[in-house]
Amino acid sequence: MIQLKTLLTCIDNSGASIVECVNVLKKKRPATIGDRIVVVVQKQRAATSEGSSGTALANKVRRGDIRHAVVVRVKKELQRADGTVVRFGDNACVLVNKSGDPIGTRMNGVVGQELRGKQWSKILSLAPVNV
Amino acid sequence: MAALPTMRPLGCLRSLWNAPDMIPSQITRRCLSTVYSQRPKRVPLPQGVPEQFLSQLPTRMRPENAPKPIKVFNPPPSARKACTDPVAKVTESQLETLDPKGERKALFDYRRNPRSVRPGDIVRVTFKNGDPFNGVVLSIKLRGIDTSFLLRNELTRVAVEMSVKVFNPNIQSVEIVQRAQRKIRRARLYYMRSRKHDRRSVENIANAYVRQKKAFMGAGSRK
Amino acid sequence: MAPRLSGKLAQLSQSLGLWEIPLTIPQISIRNFGIRSLNPPKPSRFNNHPGLPVLESTSTAALRRKAFSLPLRTGAIGIKKGMTAIFDTETGKRIPCTVLQLDRVEVVSHKTREKHGYYAVQVGAGWKHPRNMPNSLLGHFSAQGLSPKRHVFEFRVKDESGLLPVGESIPASWFQEGQYVDARSNTKGKGFAGVMKRHGFHGQDRSHGVSLTHRSMGSAGPSQGGGSRVYPGKKMAGNMGNTQNTVQNLKVLKVDAESGIVVVSGAVSGPKGCVVRIQDAIKKPWPEVASTPAATATAA
Repeated sequence: MIQLKTLLTCIDNSGASIVECVNVLKKKRPATIGDRIVVVVQKQRAATSEGSSGTALANKVRRGDIRHAVVVRVKKELQRADGTVVRFGDNACVLVNKSGDPIGTRMNGVVGQELRGKQWSKILSLAPVNV
Repeated sequence: MAALPTMRPLGCLRSLWNAPDMIPSQITRRCLSTVYSQRPKRVPLPQGVPEQFLSQLPTRMRPENAPKPIKVFNPPPSARKACTDPVAKVTESQLETLDPKGERKALFDYRRNPRSVRPGDIVRVTFKNGDPFNGVVLSIKLRGIDTSFLLRNELTRVAVEMSVKVFNPNIQSVEIVQRAQRKIRRARLYYMRSRKHDRRSVENIANAYVRQKKAFMGAGSRK
Repeated sequence: MAPRLSGKLAQLSQSLGLWEIPLTIPQISIRNFGIRSLNPPKPSRFNNHPGLPVLESTSTAALRRKAFSLPLRTGAIGIKKGMTAIFDTETGKRIPCTVLQLDRVEVVSHKTREKHGYYAVQVGAGWKHPRNMPNSLLGHFSAQGLSPKRHVFEFRVKDESGLLPVGESIPASWFQEGQYVDARSNTKGKGFAGVMKRHGFHGQDRSHGVSLTHRSMGSAGPSQGGGSRVYPGKKMAGNMGNTQNTVQNLKVLKVDAESGIVVVSGAVSGPKGCVVRIQDAIKKPWPEVASTPAATATAA
């Protein structure tokens, strides 16, 4: 249930830490896993912890940037075709550019399997775990 | 008579003349209507009226026009009686194909079966596509074909909950990794979602179990 | 356009003109009388030239139009027994479904084009004690050699080929697994409901000076400019639910003729135990089946 003003954690290494949803694309209802949204970067990741090479990466986005993102985890439970219901502990997303490629190169965190059905297999392959 | 305007007031005299006549007649009429009289009883037609007199009767009273009794037919065998609970029947026919031996049902029938999965146990579910999911059982919902259990785990420091239908054909296997250490006094362990009572990740326990099992199986195969 | 003789007159003069000369007087062109108008005659304001198609306002035409959306065969009366789910073992999908039961469904009578203006099959289901039934109804059933029925409904069919013989019973196998049906039933009654619940109005503010009218309708319409009246069909509070609803294109997942069970995918309106009329879906191709239930029973 991602809608206007929802805060999400960004789980890639694009440099954003917390982002805020400002729009849900191609949908009249709240976004869920696999949906594309527009976000504003609210909090940057601390660049110093990753060293000099990390700084370059961290600068990919800055606080106040407006970017597209794909939702990868939601708190609202999702029912799958076989009746299985999945619920995550938080709302999370991955930043993507206009053409749909992820901005970051690495991802840390579990993502939902619904990404596969919605043509986000690239993000799915980057993720360490999927459920 | 009353044509002359001067004679008009005299007209009331006529009513006076008539009055004594009228009043008693009204009273008598009233009395007659209030007297209770029983309804006359119906006199049935005498039996065996000769045929030549029948034509004198109104048509509806003639014997050939008497109301005929309606023949009521018996209903065909009822499907409702043959199967009083169709929903249960559909469920049973499903279970016959999904769970022919009743093992799955017994594994989660925690009210009756002491060897079943219970809330608080750590369970490993393997799906047919190879994905495993481990977690603490928070609750078991016994709902016939829709019987399900809720697992909770922490993956990459994110809590993940999964409710799985027991008779889902996509499930390869359900294994009990670890029994609840203490006696659990509740059927629904939703308090485990709170930070204080959270079990956090049970991945290590599950992995240890898998390693142990593999070693055991390997040892078994070497023999 | 030149002024002409009316058609009837012209025919009359032609047929009789050969041997009755005095009658041919009207044949003299009218043009020769009087003064011709200087203005050419105006075309008619109404669309009434001869090439127009016939207006299809007859009952025959109405039936012809309706024929596309009328099923070929009759439906059946079922009782909603509840909902459950069916797992598809191949794909692993879980399909929520509704269980319906057909109980002693039989054809009671027919409605025909000649007598009633349309073709329909009157179908009865269940059983009612004859003690609780008026004699007129009892006679209706007994005349056909049928037991008194609790539920009686009509199912419209396209033509007389869809009129199943009276007295024929409709088993659950009348429907095939995999075909689509429309389920028609009454929704759950919600009683007298306000506009927010009944029509999804937004209601009014909790505060900002609003008193006692937080869930009420705002205005019922414009004032003097709008005719100073409430328009017909204005959405207001009133009885909600318990109205007929049709759920289209439900797939028949399972059929059990012995116990009269028909399992359809998805939900059907109404509470458990309500009467559901199921008929072949009008928006899907008709199922290919034999027209008599006996034939379908043997095939199944």
